[in-house]
Amino acid sequence: MLDALKDVIRKSSIHVCLINTGGCNGCDIEVVALLSPRYDLEQYGIYVHNNPREADVVLVVGAVTEQWREKLQRIYAKVPEPKIVVAIGNCPLSGDVFNQEGSSVYAPVSDFIPVDAEVSGCPPRPSEILAAILSVGPDAIAARGRQKL
Amino acid sequence: MILPIGPIHPSLKEPLRLKLKTQGEKVLSAEIDYGYVHRGIERIMKGKTWQKGIYLSERVCGICSYIHTQTFAETFESIAGERAPLRAQFLRVLTNELDRIQSHLLANSTYFKAIEHETLFMYMLYLREPVMDAIELLTGNRVNMGWNVVGGVRMDVKQVHLDSIMKIMLKLESEYDRYVEMFEKGPLVGLRSHDVGKMTRDEAIKARAVGPIGRASGLENDLRENHHTYKDHLDLKVIWRKEGDNFARNMNRFDEITQSINLIKQVIENLPEGDIRKKIDIPAGYGDWRNEAPRGEVTYTIETNGNLIKNISIRTPSIMNIDACAKYMFNDVATVSDAIATYASVDPCIACTERVVIVDESGKTREFDYPNYPKI
Repeated sequence: MLDALKDVIRKSSIHVCLINTGGCNGCDIEVVALLSPRYDLEQYGIYVHNNPREADVVLVVGAVTEQWREKLQRIYAKVPEPKIVVAIGNCPLSGDVFNQEGSSVYAPVSDFIPVDAEVSGCPPRPSEILAAILSVGPDAIAARGRQKL
Repeated sequence: MILPIGPIHPSLKEPLRLKLKTQGEKVLSAEIDYGYVHRGIERIMKGKTWQKGIYLSERVCGICSYIHTQTFAETFESIAGERAPLRAQFLRVLTNELDRIQSHLLANSTYFKAIEHETLFMYMLYLREPVMDAIELLTGNRVNMGWNVVGGVRMDVKQVHLDSIMKIMLKLESEYDRYVEMFEKGPLVGLRSHDVGKMTRDEAIKARAVGPIGRASGLENDLRENHHTYKDHLDLKVIWRKEGDNFARNMNRFDEITQSINLIKQVIENLPEGDIRKKIDIPAGYGDWRNEAPRGEVTYTIETNGNLIKNISIRTPSIMNIDACAKYMFNDVATVSDAIATYASVDPCIACTERVVIVDESGKTREFDYPNYPKI
């Protein structure tokens, strides 16, 4: 009974943290556009607050730069269970145009932290980002929460 | 005490470390650490053709991505001593002004989020979405448009699209004053914005502040005045204010949006017929070009040997504005939350500011040793 109740509540309360590991801001502003009345992220119970210690879902944006190689893992360690990571845009998947001879990026991000969902695009449309969060968020939160109990 | 904020923090959108020196709640001074999003774009661009370089220049900054490609293309055109066809120049102005509107609305929405005025934050994003639709209608993408090439623009525009863009602009204009008035006359917004983070004209000159931040402190210069398309064919009024506080910076951006809507109307009404692109042979040479980005002036200096880019240097506006913020605006800020609001009011864009130079103990500088670059 308690588990079932927790499942329902957890599914509709997803806290999101956005980590820019060296992108061009393009995907950042598409995440900000999700907050707008047109897409209205909060109707799905998703709340963007940029605090890794309270986040259920971590959105990773950008190819991993020199400064982020260790810091990303340290931030990932601070995220509470379930640690769900959504990689947004081409940068965390492949490095996009930056992954060339002479650059200082270390894509893909899956070399550093496990990734649950990937959205390609430069940048992806806001609705695609929303679909990715909703495809992995609620079920994983409910399932992993049960394992812990 | 030193209060570190960032790189990941609820109040910041982009990774950056602010070190505020505080006494109680009062902020005495600030120091800023960069370097979290340095990707080495200038280094990658060397030895590439402009066809590859223009995609990289677009990804210097995602918010003002359009102006980077335009400046890149115009630098090459100035090296060749030619100009794009007039229709292409007009279409560039159209896209540039649409991009400026969305960037300013986003900047103001970030400021309202920083002063905890969620209602205006939502209203700004509500106004912004139709502008993003207009950009998508014109260029095919919302953010990274791929719209400029050296010698013109990639696609022509149809009358149907122009009519739709005009309709969007008229709707924006009809609702716009209501939201500006909410900011201008609202008691809460006024209390949090007036006389906070002041920068005088002399300080703005010393800090080399550019764009709306410089213009809000009384520096009356806008590079669009010198640009040939604006100078010869369009009617532009430079917006500037005297106060130099957070309120002035945001009002300046609001007024510039009105000016941009005005320019877009002029472009749509006077759009000339003709080619949109011409072939330009690029000789070996050296050139630079300056344009007014939403945040201020952006300078491209390119040395080419005809085919390939030999050397490139990109100077973006945010670096001057963020330093002006750290040095002059934080001096008499009463609380930490006001310091965050002041930081948001300069519209910082970290992705374009990152450069690396290594300085030895003896003071010698050398270039950063890129780790992925094969040793020769």
